Amino acid sequence: MANKEELLKALSDGVVNYNEDQVKEAAQAVVDNGYDPLEAIMDGLAHGMEIVGGLYERNEYFVPEVLMCADALYAGLGILRPHVPKKEGESKAQVVIGSVQGDVHDIGKNLVKMMFDVAGFTVHDLGRDVPLENFVKEQLRTDAEIVAMSAMMTTTMLGMRKVIQMIKEKNPNVAIMLGGAPVTKDVAKLFGADGYAESAGNAVEEAIKMIGRLREMRAAGQV
Amino acid sequence: MTQFTPKERIMRLFKREPLDTMPFFSGMGMVVMPAIKKLGYHFAQVHTDANRLAQSAIWSSKLMGFDSIVVPYDMCWESEAMGNKISLYEDSEDILYPTIPEKRWKSMDEVEIPENIMELGRMPLIPQAIKIIKEQAPEYPVGAWQLGPFTQAGQILELDMILKAVFKQRDKVEQLLDKLTEMIIKIGQALQAAGADYITLREPGVAADLLSPKTFREMIKPRLTRILAAWKSPKILHICGQTDPLVEMMNECGADAISVDIKNNLVETRKKLGNHVLLFGNFDVFALPCKAETTVQEAVAAIKVNIDSGVDAVMPGCDLWPDIKEENMLAIVKTTREYGGARPSPAVGRLS
Repeated sequence: MANKEELLKALSDGVVNYNEDQVKEAAQAVVDNGYDPLEAIMDGLAHGMEIVGGLYERNEYFVPEVLMCADALYAGLGILRPHVPKKEGESKAQVVIGSVQGDVHDIGKNLVKMMFDVAGFTVHDLGRDVPLENFVKEQLRTDAEIVAMSAMMTTTMLGMRKVIQMIKEKNPNVAIMLGGAPVTKDVAKLFGADGYAESAGNAVEEAIKMIGRLREMRAAGQV
Repeated sequence: MTQFTPKERIMRLFKREPLDTMPFFSGMGMVVMPAIKKLGYHFAQVHTDANRLAQSAIWSSKLMGFDSIVVPYDMCWESEAMGNKISLYEDSEDILYPTIPEKRWKSMDEVEIPENIMELGRMPLIPQAIKIIKEQAPEYPVGAWQLGPFTQAGQILELDMILKAVFKQRDKVEQLLDKLTEMIIKIGQALQAAGADYITLREPGVAADLLSPKTFREMIKPRLTRILAAWKSPKILHICGQTDPLVEMMNECGADAISVDIKNNLVETRKKLGNHVLLFGNFDVFALPCKAETTVQEAVAAIKVNIDSGVDAVMPGCDLWPDIKEENMLAIVKTTREYGGARPSPAVGRLS
C-alpha cells in the first residue's frame, strides 16, 4: 500500500503528465486510507500545477498541455473535494465568473475558474456570452467577494468597463479580475479592475501563481 | 512624384514598386461607426445584406482616408454556412460582432463541408458586396480574407477539444485541418474570382502563446503553405498574438507580405526577415484610435514608433474596432502619410 508521500507524488506527477487515471487512482487511495484530502489537494494536485506553471514559463508546455493537466487536476478534485471537512460556521469565499457577451470562447476563463476551485471557493460560473447585467445580478444575489470576467476581442472588452461601473456603484468592495487577449494591465487599471490576466496563457500563469501563494499561506498556517 | 489612387498604391506596394506615400490599409475588418451612422444603419444590420456590407465598407474608407476597402467583418460566415446558427445581438446597445453560440457538431468525425458552400447561409453576400464596391469605388483595392484552418476549426467545434486533440487524436485533427484547408482554398479562389484585389489568410488561433512552435511547424505551416500556393497574389498572412518565435516560419509559407499584431517585436522581426520582406503592422486597435483617454498627440507618437520599427505599411494589429475617435483615426492616417511618406519603407525603399 502506498504511503502518504507516495500518493502525493502520484497526484502531482499525474497532473504534470496529464494522466487522469493515475490521478483518480491516487485520489481514491487518499480517501480510502483516511489521509487529509485538503493536503492531497494542495500538496498533490496544486503542487503538480505549480510544476506545470514552470514548464509553461519555460515554453516546454503550451495551452493544450495545460488544458490536459487541468483535466487531470479536476479528475482528482472531484474525488477529494467532497471529503474536505466543512468547518462549522465557516462561510466559503465566493466568486462570480464568466466570459462577457459577444465572446463564445472561454478557455482562459475556465483556467482561472480552476484556480478558484482548487482554492475552495464557491464558484458561480455564468458560462460564456454572458449579458453584462447578469454579472451584476449574480454578484448581488450571491454577495460574492470577487467577480472575474474574460473577453477575447476589443469589441467585447469594453463591456467589462460597464460591468465594473455598475458593480462598483452598488458595492465598492467587490474585487474585480479581468482577463482575455486584448486586456492589458493598463486597460484593467483604466477600467477600474483590481487584477488581470492578459490571455489564456497569462491566465495559466496567474492561476498557478495564486495556487502557489495559497500553498505557501497554508504551509504557514495562515489559511 | 505622381499621386497614386489607393488601388494603384496598394498594387504597387505588393509589387515593391516606388510609392508616393506610405499606405494605411488592412487585411482584416475595417468598418467604423462614423460610416455606419452616416448611412443610418445599426451595427447588427451590416452583416446580413450585401449592399449594407458594401456601403459601410466603402464609407469607412472614404471618411477616414484608408487605402483599401475590406469585406466581410465577422468570423462566422463559413460556420453558419455549415449549418450553425449565429447570434447577431440585434437588441444590444453595444457593438458586438456575430458569434456562433452553440455548435451543431460535437466531434471531429461529424464535420462535413458542403460542396456548394458559396451558395449557403450568407456566403453569397460576399461576392455581391465585392461587386458593388468595385462598381461604386473603383479607385480602391478590395481586400477579402479567410480564417486559417485551425482557427476555423474553433469556429465549428469547441476550441478546447481541438487543442487537446492535437495531442490525443492527432490523426483526426490532421484530417479535419485538411478538409478545412480545401474549403478555405475554394472560398478564397471564389472571392478572388469575384474581384478581391488582395486576400489575407488569418490564423490567430495558432500564436505562440497558445500552440507550440513545434506544432506550428508540423501541423499548421504545411496547410498555410498549401492554401497560399493555391491563391493568386497578392496575399497576406496574418497571425494575432505572440508571433516572435514564428515569423520566420510565417515568411516561409509563401505569402507576399506578413502582418502581425502588437505582441510582435517589429524591430526584431525586421532584423530576422530582412528588408526584402513586406512587413505590415501593428498598432493597438484599442489604445490608439478608440480609447477615450488617448490624445491625438499620443496616437501620433505611437504611429511614428510603429513606422520607425520598420513596417512597409501601417496596419491595425487586428480588426479595427468600429467605435473609433474620429480625430485620432484621422491623425493616425495623416501621420502614416506624412511621417511614413517621408521615409520610404525598407522593402520599397530598397528597390526604388
